[in-house]
Amino acid sequence: MIPEDILSTAPLPERFASQAAAMLLEGETPLFTIVGDLDLKGRYNESALVVTDRRTLAFDQYHAGGVYVAEHAQVDKAFVKRMYGNAVLRVALRGEAPRDIFRFTYSVASLCDAAALFAENIAGGGDVRQEFDIVKATFDKKKSFCPKCGRALGQQGAACISCTSKSTLVRKFAKYVRPQLKLMVLCLALSLVTTAMALAPPYVTKTLVDTVIPNKDLNALLMLVAILLSVYIVQYTIGAVRGYFMRIAGDRIVAGLRNDIYEKAQYLPLSFYDKTSTGSVISRVSGDTSTLQAFMLRITQEAIIQFFLMIGIIVIMFLMNWKLTLLSLTPIPLVVLGARYFGKRIAPVYRKIWRRWAAVSSILTDTLPGVRVIKSFTGEQRSAEKFESYNNEWLIEDRKAAKLSNIFPSAVTFFVTCGSLLIWGFGGKWVIQSPQNISVGMLVSFISYAAMFYGPVNFFATLNDTYQNSLTSAQRILDVIDAEPEADFGKGNLVKKVKGKIEFRNVNFSFDRIKKALTNINLVIEPGDIVGIVGTTGSGKSTLVNLIMRFYDAYEGEILVDGVNIKELDLESYRSKIGYVQQEPIMFKDTVFRNIAFSLPDADVEQVIHAADVANAHSFIARLPDGYDTMLGERGVGLSGGERQRLSIARAVLKNPSLLIFDEATAAVDSETEHLIQQAIERLISGRTTLMIAHRLSTLRKANKIVVVDKGEIVEFGSHDELMALKGKYFKLIEIQSMSEKIRAGKEAERFE
Amino acid sequence: MSERTYIEYDNARITRLDGLALRVEMYDGRVFENVEARRLFPITGASRYITLLDEDGVEQAVIRNLKNLEPDSRKAVEETLAQYYLVPKITRVLACTEKYGKLTLKVETDIGEHRFEIKHVNTDIKVLFDGRVFITDSSDNRYEIPGLRKLDKKSLALLSPYL
Repeated sequence: MIPEDILSTAPLPERFASQAAAMLLEGETPLFTIVGDLDLKGRYNESALVVTDRRTLAFDQYHAGGVYVAEHAQVDKAFVKRMYGNAVLRVALRGEAPRDIFRFTYSVASLCDAAALFAENIAGGGDVRQEFDIVKATFDKKKSFCPKCGRALGQQGAACISCTSKSTLVRKFAKYVRPQLKLMVLCLALSLVTTAMALAPPYVTKTLVDTVIPNKDLNALLMLVAILLSVYIVQYTIGAVRGYFMRIAGDRIVAGLRNDIYEKAQYLPLSFYDKTSTGSVISRVSGDTSTLQAFMLRITQEAIIQFFLMIGIIVIMFLMNWKLTLLSLTPIPLVVLGARYFGKRIAPVYRKIWRRWAAVSSILTDTLPGVRVIKSFTGEQRSAEKFESYNNEWLIEDRKAAKLSNIFPSAVTFFVTCGSLLIWGFGGKWVIQSPQNISVGMLVSFISYAAMFYGPVNFFATLNDTYQNSLTSAQRILDVIDAEPEADFGKGNLVKKVKGKIEFRNVNFSFDRIKKALTNINLVIEPGDIVGIVGTTGSGKSTLVNLIMRFYDAYEGEILVDGVNIKELDLESYRSKIGYVQQEPIMFKDTVFRNIAFSLPDADVEQVIHAADVANAHSFIARLPDGYDTMLGERGVGLSGGERQRLSIARAVLKNPSLLIFDEATAAVDSETEHLIQQAIERLISGRTTLMIAHRLSTLRKANKIVVVDKGEIVEFGSHDELMALKGKYFKLIEIQSMSEKIRAGKEAERFE
Repeated sequence: MSERTYIEYDNARITRLDGLALRVEMYDGRVFENVEARRLFPITGASRYITLLDEDGVEQAVIRNLKNLEPDSRKAVEETLAQYYLVPKITRVLACTEKYGKLTLKVETDIGEHRFEIKHVNTDIKVLFDGRVFITDSSDNRYEIPGLRKLDKKSLALLSPYL
């Protein structure tokens, strides 16, 4: 029998469970099952893999008898062949050709990798218990995705931020409104005063028309006009004060929101930015926050005021004449029904507008920084056309929204006007036929109240429009605010001193589950080692250092620094011990001084100058007219590539790191600059564990160990001399490099002459 | 850099070996054993520019257009491509629910009914100018809607807010 609590991705379908149970041999123990979603012909169908301590049973309707059995002892090779949108588990038994035994989508691909490795290792004499532990770890890793929403969790079994927080949008955003509560309550109180005052004039009008004017009482007339004047003065003065406070409260809300989004954006993992364009994050920070602010003010202020105004008017109207009141309420159902219909129609349009606008912003953030490239390839016209086409897409959607959002209020106004016509028609008739029940003054004042009454009706009818618009914005903002930040489960576990031993244990990593970026990496780097990492482009060199930097955490296996798993260390404290110099150094729109001091904001002037000295940067900075105060353009415009690189090295020097990582730091500079940079690097690396991704022989010669990476695997590891003697991949790379360096040197000499 | 070998019309005969492997016999006598076909433009030009990679992933030749091959060769390549690329074509959307920013779709496809989740609605659904829609689910599986206009009204209404 297959135990119900067997390690599995999903409950094993009954028919497979019973068939597997019937097939079990004496003493055979089922270990784990993988439930697939495709059949061997590539259609959605039930399939399963049941792995025991002795055999793998693959259930698929296209196997003879519905099942294929592979004895672990007979397995010569087992592997997962990854294809596009699907993969197959392929097994070759001894003396037989490989065959596909289980087909599946990527949802279970990593588990099938583990199953293949398990079978192969058992065939090679591995211990079942030990191998099963590795499989269990892979299953556990699978659990580090929230089963509810699929978002990656920083650690297995951790609570998912987006699912545990059940609070509604309102509750989530209430925290921004709460600090402004006092100010908003004050505004509300002021509004209630102005609202109450607004109710007075029509009543005064009634007295004027019915009593004062027919009696020709000039004193009363003067007094009532004076009363009206004072009401208006107080009403509008309070209105202005209230408007000012509202603006302050609103601005504080939006500023708070923006700060939070920006701060959150800083802590999001790189994998978030791999998928989300910076343009769409920018439009969240700028546009969406304003939309939401407008809505929050509308709901917390206007809605309450309009509600009270509506109730006040209805009460007064009923007190004056219930028949006329009912008449004026006739169009309300139409308005309410219309609002619901309108809401349904407008919601998708707003969503689309947002997406189109995000696309437009993406083009801006993508192309404007690259304006040099655009000009050099005379692509101005093409860029403009691309922008225009995206902008037109936005225009089309916005036009749809404009149509809907204008037709609706006009329709409401039309119904409302019909309501006034009813009052004039019926009310006028009653005034003519029985003036003792309804006076002219009452009719006039009723018309004023009715007109005022439709203000709140209109407000609530169109509230849905604003609501839908802001709901879209709120969701966009929550995308960032609720996104899983970089996992930092070791928070508080500060790193005091790093000796510099780095160890990779069975590390596997994939950016997208389709293609493995690193496979089975095992590597030990001793303290003080200078390690050159070489390999062709795309071989996985940078990925290797990205994992050490903890830019990506979702890898299998372990990376240890001084014997401690880096995931267990405080992220900030850990990164503060690493100096990282990129191939393309990024400078900010700030002064040279502050760009260097970015790594140590409290650094004093002499520390910064010393760092620049070590990095061979001081002499060129001194020649700049504004010296350390030179303001750099966006991304460091104004400096050459080599100069920027030396500033970035100065940054690393200032940080005084224990580990150093250079990612092709000299790849994009000429020999002379390279020499200056090399000098700087040599000063920096003494006594520190250093990893250098490099191509140039001159750099590699300084390394006491070389790691050769190819197609995500370490293929060679040893000293320069050892690897040269091996005459393998490294030897070939160096040969090619020496040749191209000779050519380069020749060309430079020619230019010099 | 050696010149790229293009396969067109009858300058090559392609036969199927085991699994995804193909054998290419060129008219000029060259033979490429155990090559695998991959689309260079899997989204925008599924039947054009098919590269043939050897076991080390090195390109041996490129098929300019599948439609111009000899029928038998074309069939062999098409079969392996069909096996390699699994991009179910969505014909109907049966249900679409959104919770916590995650979208769950239940769909009818050319290879059966399926339910999947989309993590980032804004980035994982891409609408092409020709009306085709490409969707990536939370496990990085791909789906295609061959044409928005081909969808029935209900499917379109369910999906429309996210396009």
